[in-house]
Amino acid sequence: MPSYKLTYFNGRGRGELARLLFAAGGIEYEDVRVAGEQWQELKPKTPFGQLPILEVDGTMICESRAIGRLIAKAAGLAGKTDLEAARADMIIDGCDDLLPKLFPIFGEKDENKKAELKKEFAEKTLPPALDHFEKLASAEGYFVGKSLTWADVNFFAFMGLLGVVVPGDHIKGKVNLNKVMGNVTSNPGIAKWLKERPETEF
Amino acid sequence: GVHCGACRKMSVYELHYFNNRGRAEPARLLFAAAGLPYRDIRIQSEQWPEYKLKLPMHQVPVLEVDGTMICQSVAIARYVAKVTGHAGKTDLEQAKVDMLVDGIDDVMTKKGDYVWHEKDETRKMEKKNAFYETTLPQFLSRFEKLLLTNGGDGFLVGEGLAHADAWFLCLADDVLLDFPDIFTPYPKLAALVERIRTYPGIKEWLAKRPQTEF
Repeated sequence: MPSYKLTYFNGRGRGELARLLFAAGGIEYEDVRVAGEQWQELKPKTPFGQLPILEVDGTMICESRAIGRLIAKAAGLAGKTDLEAARADMIIDGCDDLLPKLFPIFGEKDENKKAELKKEFAEKTLPPALDHFEKLASAEGYFVGKSLTWADVNFFAFMGLLGVVVPGDHIKGKVNLNKVMGNVTSNPGIAKWLKERPETEF
Repeated sequence: GVHCGACRKMSVYELHYFNNRGRAEPARLLFAAAGLPYRDIRIQSEQWPEYKLKLPMHQVPVLEVDGTMICQSVAIARYVAKVTGHAGKTDLEQAKVDMLVDGIDDVMTKKGDYVWHEKDETRKMEKKNAFYETTLPQFLSRFEKLLLTNGGDGFLVGEGLAHADAWFLCLADDVLLDFPDIFTPYPKLAALVERIRTYPGIKEWLAKRPQTEF
């Protein structure tokens, strides 16, 4: 069993996917949270000067999706065939495509601009994407095959971030997506983590 | 196609994109490296409004595998790499390849931002200068260090060509158009680009592929 050490900031952000997958897989790991000087010291030692990073038996992997995929494989949540794995990848990439539009809203200081950006995201950017995802999720509430994969878990993580920046019930009426959310939160490992995890701003 | 031992059927691959290299080219390079046949579909712009409606996220590229549609260029290239044995040998190797691809994808997206999305000409020029003076050199310098952790004189990860190398060639082709000497401070990366260009299968594809602006 390899040793896993995850390093991210003290928040969910792009680090939570890994934490949720470790929880779902019942895999032990060190959950390191850094800030300020600690981060400045670590930064040049990371491959791209970014977090999260995952250290696996001494090898450093960066990029949240690369990390997520590695843990998903270890947890048996990456899809049963190469084609299923590709379907999971595409759902996750599609979801993550929304993050570069979402994150700037979180950091926007001008209240008027922030309100404008929120409105545009909620009314123009988000709805067509959620329509696609609703069609791609099954009636049983799985994006891939007939059981939980990391595509479902990533969607849950994304919805968590969305809720911080643009509050609202964005998947109201979307039957399949609501089932996906239910399947993720009722996973025993994830349910336990959701109760125990630190409360953070993002 | 690929011979599926269990069902004795050849898989049919169809790659849907526009008549550009763009985000379909990494997959095309991987098909070429393996000599794996596929339909290289290039959509005309007047077809697009109707065409996109049948695609999973109304975007291209899309790879159709025996009728199943995969979208998202990184997911597509990874799948083709897996089928052709260019994904990395272990889960950890695959993760290293994946992280390099995501890094390249990030830089390509930043370039796309000023090329396609910035409409104001002054801001466009400012962003372009920032890309070439800061973003790209920072990335290339980190990337060369990562190549050196794998020896420096082979491919990016492990022993053989992986989809990260295909992506890197596409990035190189793209940025060299604007700045032909961008690799001068990074000789190992320049040599890697040549190594990928002359890879059997890729070499032939580069000579015969449609010549498009981007």
